[in-house]
Amino acid sequence: MKRVKQSPDTGLGAMWKSMALIFLLGLCFGSLYAQHSVEGTVLDSASREPLPGVSVKVKGESTGTSTGPDGRFSLEVQSQEAVLEVSFLGYTTREVPARPGQPVSVLLSPDNESLEQVVVIGYGSKRKRDITSAVSVIDMEQIKDRPVSNINNMMVGQAPGVVVKQNTGTPGEELDVKIRGISSLGAGSAPLFVIDGFAMGTSAGRNLNAADVESITVLKDAASTAIYGARGSNGVVLITTKSAKDDELSLGFDVNYGIQNVPASRRVEMMNGVEFAQYKKESFMDKIRYFEGREPSIEEVPEDYRYPEQTPYSTDWMDEILHNNAPFQDYNITLSSGKGLVKSMLSINYLNQAGAVIETGFERFNIRANLHGDINKNISLGWNIAGAFFREQYAATNGRDAIIGSALWADPREPVYNEDGSFNDYIGGHDGVFGTANPVQEMKEMERNRNNADLISNGYLEIRFLKDFTFRSSVNARLINEKMKEFRPSTLAGRGFDQPPPREAWLSEGQWETLNVAADQVLTYAKTIGDHDFSIMAGYSAQEETGKSLTAGGNEFPNDIVRFLGSAERVDAGSAEASWSMLAYIARVHYTFMDKYLFSATFRREGSSRFGINNKWGNFPAASLGWRVSEESFMDNAGWVSDLKLRGSWGVTGNNDIGNYRSLSILNPANYILGGGFASGQVLGAFANTNLGWEQSNQVNLGLDASLFRNRLYFTAEYYRKITNDMLLPIEIPVISGFTTTFSNIGKVQNTGLEFALGYRTSVNKVNLYADLNIAFNRNKVLEINGENDEIRSGSFYSTYNVSRPGRPIGMLHGYRMLGIFNTEEEIAAWPEQDGAIPGVYKYEDTNGDGIISYDTQDMVEIGNPHPKAVWGFTLGGDYGNFDFNLLFTGAQDYDVFRNIEATTMNMDGVFNILRSGKNRWRSAENPGDGKGPTTNTWKWERESNSRYVYDASHAWLKNLTVGYTIPTFHNIRVYLSADNLLLITNYPGNNPDVDQRGGIQPGVDDETYPVPRTFSLGASVKF
Amino acid sequence: MKHKTVLLAVLISFTLFSCGEDFLNKTDPTRLVEGNFYQTEQQMEQAVNGVYSQLQDIIRNQWQYNEFITDNTTLHFNPSDRGQGPSLEAIEFWQINPSTSNINNLYNSYYQTLVNINTTLAKLEAASFEESVKKPFEGQLKFLRAYYYFNLLQYFGDVIVITEPLETPEQAWEYSRQPVAQVYELVESDLADAVASLPVSWDSENVGRITKGAALSLLGKVYLTKKEYNEAVATLREVTSLGYELLPSYADVFDPQKKNHIESVFDVQFQGGNELGEWSDFIYTFAPRESVGAVINFPGQSGAGWNIPSRDMIAAYEEGDLRKEVSLKEGYTSLEGEWVPVPFINKYNHPHAIRGRTDDNWPVIRYADVLLMLAEAINEVSGPTTEAAGYLNQVRSRAGLDPLNNLGKDAFREAVLQERRVELAFENHRWFDLKRTKSPQELADFLNAYGDFEKSNPTTSRSGIPFTAADFVFEPHEVLFPIPANQILINNNLTQNEGYK
Repeated sequence: MKRVKQSPDTGLGAMWKSMALIFLLGLCFGSLYAQHSVEGTVLDSASREPLPGVSVKVKGESTGTSTGPDGRFSLEVQSQEAVLEVSFLGYTTREVPARPGQPVSVLLSPDNESLEQVVVIGYGSKRKRDITSAVSVIDMEQIKDRPVSNINNMMVGQAPGVVVKQNTGTPGEELDVKIRGISSLGAGSAPLFVIDGFAMGTSAGRNLNAADVESITVLKDAASTAIYGARGSNGVVLITTKSAKDDELSLGFDVNYGIQNVPASRRVEMMNGVEFAQYKKESFMDKIRYFEGREPSIEEVPEDYRYPEQTPYSTDWMDEILHNNAPFQDYNITLSSGKGLVKSMLSINYLNQAGAVIETGFERFNIRANLHGDINKNISLGWNIAGAFFREQYAATNGRDAIIGSALWADPREPVYNEDGSFNDYIGGHDGVFGTANPVQEMKEMERNRNNADLISNGYLEIRFLKDFTFRSSVNARLINEKMKEFRPSTLAGRGFDQPPPREAWLSEGQWETLNVAADQVLTYAKTIGDHDFSIMAGYSAQEETGKSLTAGGNEFPNDIVRFLGSAERVDAGSAEASWSMLAYIARVHYTFMDKYLFSATFRREGSSRFGINNKWGNFPAASLGWRVSEESFMDNAGWVSDLKLRGSWGVTGNNDIGNYRSLSILNPANYILGGGFASGQVLGAFANTNLGWEQSNQVNLGLDASLFRNRLYFTAEYYRKITNDMLLPIEIPVISGFTTTFSNIGKVQNTGLEFALGYRTSVNKVNLYADLNIAFNRNKVLEINGENDEIRSGSFYSTYNVSRPGRPIGMLHGYRMLGIFNTEEEIAAWPEQDGAIPGVYKYEDTNGDGIISYDTQDMVEIGNPHPKAVWGFTLGGDYGNFDFNLLFTGAQDYDVFRNIEATTMNMDGVFNILRSGKNRWRSAENPGDGKGPTTNTWKWERESNSRYVYDASHAWLKNLTVGYTIPTFHNIRVYLSADNLLLITNYPGNNPDVDQRGGIQPGVDDETYPVPRTFSLGASVKF
Repeated sequence: MKHKTVLLAVLISFTLFSCGEDFLNKTDPTRLVEGNFYQTEQQMEQAVNGVYSQLQDIIRNQWQYNEFITDNTTLHFNPSDRGQGPSLEAIEFWQINPSTSNINNLYNSYYQTLVNINTTLAKLEAASFEESVKKPFEGQLKFLRAYYYFNLLQYFGDVIVITEPLETPEQAWEYSRQPVAQVYELVESDLADAVASLPVSWDSENVGRITKGAALSLLGKVYLTKKEYNEAVATLREVTSLGYELLPSYADVFDPQKKNHIESVFDVQFQGGNELGEWSDFIYTFAPRESVGAVINFPGQSGAGWNIPSRDMIAAYEEGDLRKEVSLKEGYTSLEGEWVPVPFINKYNHPHAIRGRTDDNWPVIRYADVLLMLAEAINEVSGPTTEAAGYLNQVRSRAGLDPLNNLGKDAFREAVLQERRVELAFENHRWFDLKRTKSPQELADFLNAYGDFEKSNPTTSRSGIPFTAADFVFEPHEVLFPIPANQILINNNLTQNEGYK
């Protein structure tokens, strides 16, 4: 065994030296004391076998080593009486005193802590080993080293079947969370978020400070979510916030600073000015060649395009609106005091994130106080209060008419600024090129702000009485106030031809206020009698939410300076209010026999204001069973099996995410003019359906949990089948009823899936490593809509359809099947009739075989499946001495995205700038191009929804890489470098293969949106 | 003390939320709910007004199905906006199929207002008001129901007849198309009721509501269309005794300053210049799409370039016809001073104070129409009598044209049709006039001749994009629109019109 030698003068190795440059502070300590040597052996407490690779550290010092193959170690300590910290994966960490010259023998015993871990579940908590349903606990230990400002980001790639996607790069944006697929055609598919026991709705909001989060538990199957009844169908995310640990007194600081940009590889390449002029020139000449059958003269090309090489300007509009070093900063201060009667955790957070698109950004300020007091041994009281305020500068970024889209298609031959430095205020709009406001000017001059203030309060009282009873009463409230203001000055041009400024200025202002109040009363009785361990819970829950709004718009302003409604020539204002309420009775029984046989059942009866008078109440039962095989005597010889559990569950959940007043036949104002004056009128707005009731999901789940080799390897497998019935669907009804749709309880959707999670922890030499892989395979299928032939079709002829049909997954991409490009008139003549087709247009398949490719949906078929076959996450992390690292990969395999923006960026009529690859378009039979770009000679049969725009979006993404170093000599300050979205491996041509702009039952459409940036950051955290 | 506080908190939290069923009863505070509406006379009046409001929406789109489809108008082809290919352009170029969205919209809009008519009529019947209160409401509603079914049968042929509100959505599947003759029965009986219940005129606060004269005129038109000429003559003659007259100036007929004048039998009311939300915007649809402030007097304002008068229409005016300049312009002078030869409909082009909000009413029935119908009907009964020629020439003389005399019966019929074309140009009469006076084959031959003419020399530039082979090819079965495909998909009791698949 090699002795580790350190002396004041020579102890710094090469590596130390380089680190020293960065971490000067840490260096000053570390090397001021005399050294003594300590030796010892580490053994397994049961087998007495030596354990190699065990970490041995001197408590409070930087010194550390690990054991060799024979379990022996030796290291230098700086005092005569040191305490060694001996830790090894899968074993309980021990602290042993050591004296130089006296060899120590340390016995480590296997750690079953992870099984003893208490997991938060709905209206209570449970030991992990007792759980009998599909519950994923986000491993906070594993993600704690990763800087995260958004709560949903903590779940990215962490649990199988929990798909967290970043749809856009908008600063401060909430990520999209879906658990086990899309299960409803009519209602939402987002899970319920419960924060500190308060059911917040289908969003965690943008206001929760990620640094305050203590735990995240994801309830996936019906047995675990049925206790949340009508909101449990899409899964439940339970979040708890930190509280002070007993006797802890600490002050922590975290700082993280970084920059964001959109790398060149993730940008779309459009033509530059010269290329676009050349393209326009060719398109004029090709038209004459085709339609008139002669060679054109240069004079027939409009002057602007005659000599492309002389094009004076070339602007990359996308580059102009992107911020290449958009900074962000995130600061946290946490004060924990676990001493005394009242324990408190106070935190402050400030986040300021500039956007990767100029003139966008998100700034947030959070405070939180979590207080808990034990008045006596029977009564506890607690109060969490959190306030947040954010300010957002935003932009409309979705679709071709918004800023990102127009930066792609805007005429590249125009400069950003005029020679006098003023903005070139109208881009295109002449010579057959579509016009737009100058994208840079639009971003700089439009005012778009949103302010949001959010106050959450959770108060509770817990009384323990008669030994085994606990009563907990909690009152939760949340008040959100949001304000929005948009002003478009007269200096900005309109979109389209002949729309130069000045235009009519407009102002839009809005204010929203939401108050959500909930109260839960829960009585629990828990008792252990011999081998029988049981608990019973009964409770009552009520919740009400009211939203109010005041919105106003103003048009025509005398100037662009005073931007208030009072200055507008015309003002239009409105106000509204909406509310919902819910009542529920809940009950749960747990029973465990000999720690081996587990049983749990829950029941919820819930009433909701959202449903018809005849159907207000719904029942949600669930049950689950577990068998801890590893506790059986026949497993005694299988010592390598630390834990093995088989479980099965069944339950019923609901989904009430359908809006507030669906069962009512409301009247809408519809007015008239009579006698030259206003005459108010009313018309029916919907078909009343007093029978409107609950959508219900039945879910079966089978699971296996295994921990092997002293918990070093763990494995979880789940199988589930979820069938959603009686969906709240806007079904089409014959319009003779007066309405084209009405809400009804109809249809069936099935999601079946397999989920696997596999984790391994090991130590190799001095390196501790952990690796976690999770992968989920979800299969979605519509079983029934309204009769067999029914379908739900959304979208439009030129911008793709998503079609849901019985027997197929939800929202399949629909369009013409493009088989190639017609080269000659003969080919067209030989093909089924495509009216108006000329050589160079797309050749579509006559799928219904009637000899005509009709200009409507008759020949449109499935052209893509937007649901990935597999979604996975992989984490690899570890530490070496004081270094730590963490890599997170996510990916999705085998699915399609319809890149709808290409209907614009490959629109060959020259109205828009097009992709650089458009140079390889079809120009003649001799020069047929790359088979993707059609001719510029016509418009028809080129941009209809078709398979040409469908791309495989399979990808693997290195979402995060973090490398940290802990300076043990100075309050364990940890400094780190981190990168988000570092590397993306995909063939998808857009910025973001995770894009899902239309959402819901219209998955897999890319209309172009705010690009997802790459982020580099540098941070430090310290705790005193 | 502490325990008391705790107890209090528990009590409060219980009482706060231990509420019953009432807690779950929520109704939309921003709107009325059917259950508590249709109770008072005032609410009934609002329900009737709502039906008029839906008529505004139908009239806003009616040009597509009654003018645009005919030889009167065409479009200014816009190569950069291909989004209208399967919808508006399918109508213009006679490429309508069961999936054409604008036909679907047409069909839907009629039944979406019929539900309000039927519901209000049912509630009225059940209400305990005086007959004198009920009758005028009923008369207005029945007139509109008749107007809608009369239009529906002309557009689609056999249609579903629904006269009562449905109790459950399922009932909507129980209906199938009724023969045209049965639809006519309802139309006639509704109009007879309307004639009996409506006043000849309304007080000043209610001007704009449907009158007895409107009901008689529409009934006359129904008889004319059914070729029941004796009944048509008798019914329309009744209108001539109600005090209507032609205005001396044709331009005044459309002048928003002179709304609801003596020639107006039934106008759909609109009002611009304010925030009431009841404005019209026809000129914004009809003005040339590159006119940039030269036609609509607002900076940078262009129209949509739809319903452009065709070359054929422009040529239809006789020399010296005073109506031509009022009804259309053959082009405009751009703000740069250039003459742009893109014609447009001028009838609804009037100065207005606020961009996008015009004050123009839409004439549904006016006295000139009644006179020409009467001339047409008398000619069919007893040839071109002096009375018949008198009505025709009354209209011609206001237009500054010489009277037509001594025509044979067939020539007179043609003359009336021609007169209707120019007198009632762009007022949504042309499609039904053509259908009424021509057999399907005749209509096909007539329109195809027009189509060839337009294709050979389009009214406006097509930016070098040629017509396709299927453009402007009219087949006899196209005299009826197809039943929208999705209605058949939902309810396979529904049959499709011949010639469509």
